[in-house]
Amino acid sequence: MHELSMADAIVKTVLDVAEKNQAEEILEVTIEVGKLTMLNPEQLRFLLDVLTKDTLLEGAEIIIEEIPVEINCLSCNYKGSTNLDDSDHYLMIVKCPECDERNLEIVTGQECNVKNIRIEKPD
Amino acid sequence: MHKIADVEIQHDIMVANKKLAQRNQRILDKADVFSIDVLGAIGSGKTSLIELLIDRMDEKIGVIAGDVISKFDAGRFQKYNVPVIGLNTGKECHLDAHLVEHALEDLPLDEMDILFVENVGNLICPVDFDLGSHMRMVVISVSEGDDTVEKHPLIFKDADLVVINKIDIAEAVGADAEKMVKDAKMLNPDVEIIKSSLKTEEGLEKIIDSIKRFKENI
Repeated sequence: MHELSMADAIVKTVLDVAEKNQAEEILEVTIEVGKLTMLNPEQLRFLLDVLTKDTLLEGAEIIIEEIPVEINCLSCNYKGSTNLDDSDHYLMIVKCPECDERNLEIVTGQECNVKNIRIEKPD
Repeated sequence: MHKIADVEIQHDIMVANKKLAQRNQRILDKADVFSIDVLGAIGSGKTSLIELLIDRMDEKIGVIAGDVISKFDAGRFQKYNVPVIGLNTGKECHLDAHLVEHALEDLPLDEMDILFVENVGNLICPVDFDLGSHMRMVVISVSEGDDTVEKHPLIFKDADLVVINKIDIAEAVGADAEKMVKDAKMLNPDVEIIKSSLKTEEGLEKIIDSIKRFKENI
């Protein structure tokens, strides 16, 4: 639901970096979106298309990579991926896949990271 | 001649918000103000609860009232003669740390003990945006349906206190408040849960005690 403000922040970040690197064209942008964020990648992509009109970013390929959820179990010290059964959205953040305990910390899956860009610049 | 170059950025928008939130918390700590995020569904009783707390607590209270386009909530708090900043998110569905930072600039923090930051009524978007408060209170009510907790797991995962309001009408709306308690405990085993009716003031004293306890323990 807040894809617009995130898309806006992404566009500003990319244009700022592109300008500092004397880019004449931006060919590609890679964005990482965590599976636990309240961001829908398709809506994000649509809004990025809208916001990049008439900017250096227009026409650039937008790559959205999903970051999986990783947890840290405070009971058994398990660190790693969690139960990714989409049929039960609870399991992901509720139970440690190793010991079934519920005392978990979320380590990854909450990102909205502008990872890198590929640009064309003067030699 | 032109060349193709890859430029690393690694700028996480969430982390940028988090850094601003941490700065907000430092500002609050410096002024010795305990800040509480008040999150919850539309119409669950967030504003009513803050009104009652202003009325009953001895501490000096200030409020940041977030609303999409109106100042209705800010207007309600002004009647209590406490410092209030009404924040319009302008069609956005949540407050963010940057908006709160500006509100902090305009509040007389030195004259306050507790700051309530009332978010826009929404159980989804505010989850992604830390504001820098010391405590997260989520207010829901039975009239939203007793599946509310299980449908919005993340907001409860991060909560310190969950208030389940309007329990006096649970039977009339066919909701099982105990199921909501059970769901919240499953998501967040350590969370404190208080069932309340702000109309009859059932549970109000427990909420005040909980806030005081959190305030002492930071």
